[in-house]
Amino acid sequence: MPYQRVRLISGRGPAASQFADALRGLAVDAADRIYAVGDSAVKVFSPEGELVGLWQTERAGWAIAVAKDRTVFVGQTDQAQLFDPAGHLTQTWKDPQRLGLPTAVGLCGEHVLVADAKDRCIRCYDLDGRFRHSIGGAGRMRGFLIPNGHLDLTVDADGVLHVPNPGKHRVERYDLSGRLLGQFGRFDGTDPAGFSGCCNPTNIALLPSGQVVVTEKAPPRIKVYEADGRLLELFGQDDFDPRCKNMDVAADSRGRVYVVDTIRLHICVFAPAEAQDATSRPATREGQPR
Amino acid sequence: MSEQPTRRDVLGHAVRGTVLIGLGGLAAYLGRRAGPETVWQIDCDRCVNSRAGAVGVDVCERCATECVLPLSAVRAVNDYAKCGRCYICPAYFDIKSAVNAQGLPSQKLCPRDAIDRKPIGWVDPDDPANNYYEYVIDERRCNGCGRCVLACKEPAGLGSIRLVVRYDLCLDCNRCSVAQACPDDAYLRKPLTSGEATA
Repeated sequence: MPYQRVRLISGRGPAASQFADALRGLAVDAADRIYAVGDSAVKVFSPEGELVGLWQTERAGWAIAVAKDRTVFVGQTDQAQLFDPAGHLTQTWKDPQRLGLPTAVGLCGEHVLVADAKDRCIRCYDLDGRFRHSIGGAGRMRGFLIPNGHLDLTVDADGVLHVPNPGKHRVERYDLSGRLLGQFGRFDGTDPAGFSGCCNPTNIALLPSGQVVVTEKAPPRIKVYEADGRLLELFGQDDFDPRCKNMDVAADSRGRVYVVDTIRLHICVFAPAEAQDATSRPATREGQPR
Repeated sequence: MSEQPTRRDVLGHAVRGTVLIGLGGLAAYLGRRAGPETVWQIDCDRCVNSRAGAVGVDVCERCATECVLPLSAVRAVNDYAKCGRCYICPAYFDIKSAVNAQGLPSQKLCPRDAIDRKPIGWVDPDDPANNYYEYVIDERRCNGCGRCVLACKEPAGLGSIRLVVRYDLCLDCNRCSVAQACPDDAYLRKPLTSGEATA
């Protein structure tokens, strides 16, 4: 089903709902609230795009995830910080050897999975911050191939990790022990079913249906694949600054897709045609007519 | 009635003029020696092929086409510290060309085939993507057209390739034809620095 941009949230600027320098990470909770991390702050938006929460992080945030109990995990250089739903700091996991550049966080039961772009692998911790093991760092390449400098991941309800390996033009699946379960993807510079350029896809999310959403750079765009790698949708080609790369992506319970424009510092909200409602039809920036 | 100049007057003027011209040249020479030596250089932050933010633009090949030398004094240089050593390098391959049986683009980007692609270490026979690749620019073939520079630029690549002037080739013309033709005023005279000289 075709996707259409229905809303823009946040943007570059000095307002509380905006980001001044960087917007990097994105997550959506069970109630479809949107959590964005950038600069040195977490900003929470209602599904309608209104700012409903805001707090500072110790360092500039790279990635964010929200647990079922609404604990917020923020990946920052050399560490991860945990916040309660009100934004109060509850834990700081300092682990510069393993969390040099944490560009993604995924949660599954007792497992906290952090993608470390510095060492190009995934770190597995328990909920108390105890390191368990690494995933993807033991192969011949000593990690995922990320010339783009960004490693993303997402975890499904069955505990399967879905990881873009952009230098290989693939999406790979791992179990929580790090065993490769499968992959899809191939290079192709013209056929949109393939992944183009030096390194794509860069970011990943899962729809409630289990379909895989990925973002690409050069040109920035969004694709939806079946789990077996069949391309279903391609959209967003005209919705982003062409300089965008490593655009984080998240999906909500209604199948809406949220993607960061890393240059304009806003969140583009896309809805499948059948999920659009009366409140979201016009493509507006928070409170502004198109 | 004006007095006609004598042969002695004409000769005197000629000698004085010659001496003045010689002194002027000497002064210019000494002035140039007294200040820092300047050479033609390319400002990568101005050149459209490498300038950050200039996305979706056409390649500018004037460095290759405007130089008075048969093969331009401009060359592309790959900074290995920045290079991603990608399996599929957009500066090496024409990534829009058809994919071949090996899953790679079938055409190269460089019109003079001046970039060599070499696997680093042994190639995994089951998965050639399971490797890093080194991209070496052969300066005997490169003419500084800039296509690889543009293809490697962020966000498509990592911006590891740039254009430089090779001073051992450059004729150091006072009115450089490349500088005259450069639409971005990126071809400039700048003080020679050791970094540029060895780039």
